[in-house]
Amino acid sequence: MTTTHSTTKIVDALQAALPGRVDTDPALLDAFTTDRSGHRSPGAPLAVVNACTIEDVQAACRLASEFRVPVVSRGAGTGLAGGAIAGPGEIVLSLTGMDRILEVSPANRLAVVEPGILNGDLNRVLAGHGLWWAPDPASKDISTVGGNIAMNAGGLLCAKYGVTREAVLALKVVLADGRLITVGHRTVKGVTGFDVCALMIGSEGTLGIIVEATLKLQPLVSGGVATVGAFFDSVEDAAAAASAITAEGLVPSIMELMDGRTITAMERFAGDAVFGGAGAFLLVQCDGPAAQATASRAAALATAIGGRVETTTDPEESDRLVGLRRNAFPALEAMGTMLVEDMAVPRDRMADAFAAIRRIEQKYDVAIPSTCHAGDGNLHPSFVYTGDTVPENIWAAAGEMFRTALDFGGTLSGEHGIGLLKRAWLRDELGDDQYELQRGIKELFDPLGILNPGKVFVPED
Amino acid sequence: MFRPGMKGNTVNTSPTASAAMTSATAALLESLACASTDPQDRAHASTDRSGYVSPSVPDGVVFAESIDDVAQTMRRASELGVQVVPRGAGSGLAGGAAAHAGQVVLDVSRMNRILHIDPVEQIAVVEPGVVNAAVNAAVAEHGLFYAPDPASTAICSIGGNIATNAGGMWCAKYGVTRESILALRVVLPDGRILDTGRGTIKGVTGYDLNALMIGSEGTLGIVVEAKLRLRPRPVHTATLVAYFPDVAAAAQAASAIIAARVQPSVLELMDGQTLAAVDAAQGSDHAVRGGAFLLAQTDGYGAYLEQEVLVEAIRPYASSMEQAADAEHAGALMAARRAAIPSVEELGRVSICDVGVPRNRLAEAFAGLDAIAAKTGVRIFTVAHAADGNLHPMIVVEPHESITEGPAKEALGEMFHLAKGLGGTLTGEHGVGLLKRDWLQAELGDTSLELQHAIRDVFNPRGLLNPGKAI
Repeated sequence: MTTTHSTTKIVDALQAALPGRVDTDPALLDAFTTDRSGHRSPGAPLAVVNACTIEDVQAACRLASEFRVPVVSRGAGTGLAGGAIAGPGEIVLSLTGMDRILEVSPANRLAVVEPGILNGDLNRVLAGHGLWWAPDPASKDISTVGGNIAMNAGGLLCAKYGVTREAVLALKVVLADGRLITVGHRTVKGVTGFDVCALMIGSEGTLGIIVEATLKLQPLVSGGVATVGAFFDSVEDAAAAASAITAEGLVPSIMELMDGRTITAMERFAGDAVFGGAGAFLLVQCDGPAAQATASRAAALATAIGGRVETTTDPEESDRLVGLRRNAFPALEAMGTMLVEDMAVPRDRMADAFAAIRRIEQKYDVAIPSTCHAGDGNLHPSFVYTGDTVPENIWAAAGEMFRTALDFGGTLSGEHGIGLLKRAWLRDELGDDQYELQRGIKELFDPLGILNPGKVFVPED
Repeated sequence: MFRPGMKGNTVNTSPTASAAMTSATAALLESLACASTDPQDRAHASTDRSGYVSPSVPDGVVFAESIDDVAQTMRRASELGVQVVPRGAGSGLAGGAAAHAGQVVLDVSRMNRILHIDPVEQIAVVEPGVVNAAVNAAVAEHGLFYAPDPASTAICSIGGNIATNAGGMWCAKYGVTRESILALRVVLPDGRILDTGRGTIKGVTGYDLNALMIGSEGTLGIVVEAKLRLRPRPVHTATLVAYFPDVAAAAQAASAIIAARVQPSVLELMDGQTLAAVDAAQGSDHAVRGGAFLLAQTDGYGAYLEQEVLVEAIRPYASSMEQAADAEHAGALMAARRAAIPSVEELGRVSICDVGVPRNRLAEAFAGLDAIAAKTGVRIFTVAHAADGNLHPMIVVEPHESITEGPAKEALGEMFHLAKGLGGTLTGEHGVGLLKRDWLQAELGDTSLELQHAIRDVFNPRGLLNPGKAI
């Protein structure tokens, strides 16, 4: 990598403005060339700024604007779409040092936090107040609230409790030129002007840097939970059971589906035949006063479709079953580098989507273990490979999968974002007119194009 | 379609109206089969339910019956440089659909079909002019409901609900309009058709333009079709009404409910003045039982268990409580709340305001409103969606007085400063429209306002769509 005059100058300027906060150690910078997507940038970034305050972020953005150097904001680096990967000539703005809880207000059911706090850590504190923050990605113990907001993360519980957008009241955002704005409201409702808060949520660090968030909290759910584990011969049957549960008007807090390939990987990872060789597994958890009534109705529907069903109200047994789902990604990652897709389809097309995945497996000669947030039709077909680059047949299979999702009236990404991984297909989903409008918005927030360039949109040469 | 005043028939019967017509608007109206220049249509389209009196009437009204009509109108308007004001049922409370001379109103109220209901996916696809209550009546047959439920449900349109991101009584538990809109079809100011959002429950492909459209008050595009998220109708609903010595005690009870970690689906507060107005108009006797009223509903399987928690939270503050014995009784209690606005409207000219405050500051907000009434000399009647801190103070002046100028405007300004001082907002669910623009900058700040203008310019570069509204 060649170091140009201006890139040396930006590092000097950052070190002068933010003494002790700027790191250029190559061994350390290597970590920022990847995330959990399996992607790797061509080389190390120039430096990392370890921001501790909003002023640090503002200073870094002001200098980046002055020197026209790209800034990649980053939380815990657990993203699955390559959104926080930095490469040569770029500055990483790390927010993990900004991890304080600034306020918890039970009377307003809100919390004000810095972006670097881990989702799981926040929820442990909130539990002491009888409250919780609903966004619940499988990565909650290792992902940051800021990263969850940047992706509009979903998770296991969002079919009932909503995605991140529904759980954020207001944000403080540092703009590309270093100015600070507040968007949204401390109140539950508010319609003053355009919803720029919603625009920021899911914008993947391309419109501004989230430096503080006012989160909408929920009361901890009272009453116990009831959990149903249903084992099926085929994933199509399991998907049909999930669709039947939704069609019945039941609203489980968790409804997760895993196919046979995932089950095999998990049994190998656990060293135990916990699924008894089933071809698919459907996990249904219900909470609140209706937990048992909802669970037994769901169990009956699953049985009717041929599921072998276990129902439990024992909290430990419930936790064990949910833990199995949370271990799906670690089990797959143990087999190699994992590329996780994230398509969502209308909820009555899940069985069709699984059939399409099987077809794509055969066509491209690749195994695609798949999990699914069945309450909202969000599938995570996964590819596992070895080596540093994604094999050609996997790219081709992924491309066909995206087109299939769109054909089903679905979307490329339910909750992981576009990042680098899916940007080539963005225009296909949005259409030319919307794509241009989105680019227009990007340009007005970031006229110099320094905020996470190359992410979400394919660079225009 | 053939009616008096429409193109090809008698036009411009009013001399003042014809004087205001520009050649560009005349050319636009001439070219559209669904346009009317009937003076009554134009007078009707000049304002909404905000009490705003437009200085003049628009040059004409286009009654669109299809997406094509809307697209064609916008294409022509854009070629001719004509300003267009979109309009649904005209039930807005902030002047967002008000129009004046030189402008053409694009009325979508005839696009009122429910195109599709999918009970399995729990989705409905509707045209923008369909009335909110009509959607709920249609989906109820499938055991579903559409949660955004403004007090005006019987008269407001889905398109208007989307334009203002309407809330209503159920939104503390089920979210506002934004949380129930999966996708939109929008006609842009130049007539192009844009689809935002998606058919799935989740999705993060690119920026959330769907959310940006919701609440944009017709300044970014015209919603011509909406995909609504429906929810299963709760199996049980438990209704409770409590009376309090005064509004401060009722507000404290509401805050106690929030702190008690139970989520009511409805939590409506009415102050003593409003109760008296309801009694006078409806022949009821609420005011004799207390100086403030709190209506609470819980729903779902746990409705009655949750109601017990509510009762315990309210008990220290209430002078009496009453649980609805059956659905009919519950309906009568809900009807009292829904009667609040019409009852107050019988007392004079009314401006319904819409401030939001953090939920633990309700009592302070009520005290502040009393002070504003004393200072400005207007009467203020207040109802509140207490579970989300959204107050609707109704400013009432005599029929001959202005509701948008003088003491009424002064009171509105004071209310904004009160809300802002409590950490709140200018408008919770009605929008900014024409009537609250003066305070927008103070709430958003210069940088945010500048960005908002820039966003509008991306969609509406020539400013022809609903100019002067919202921002």
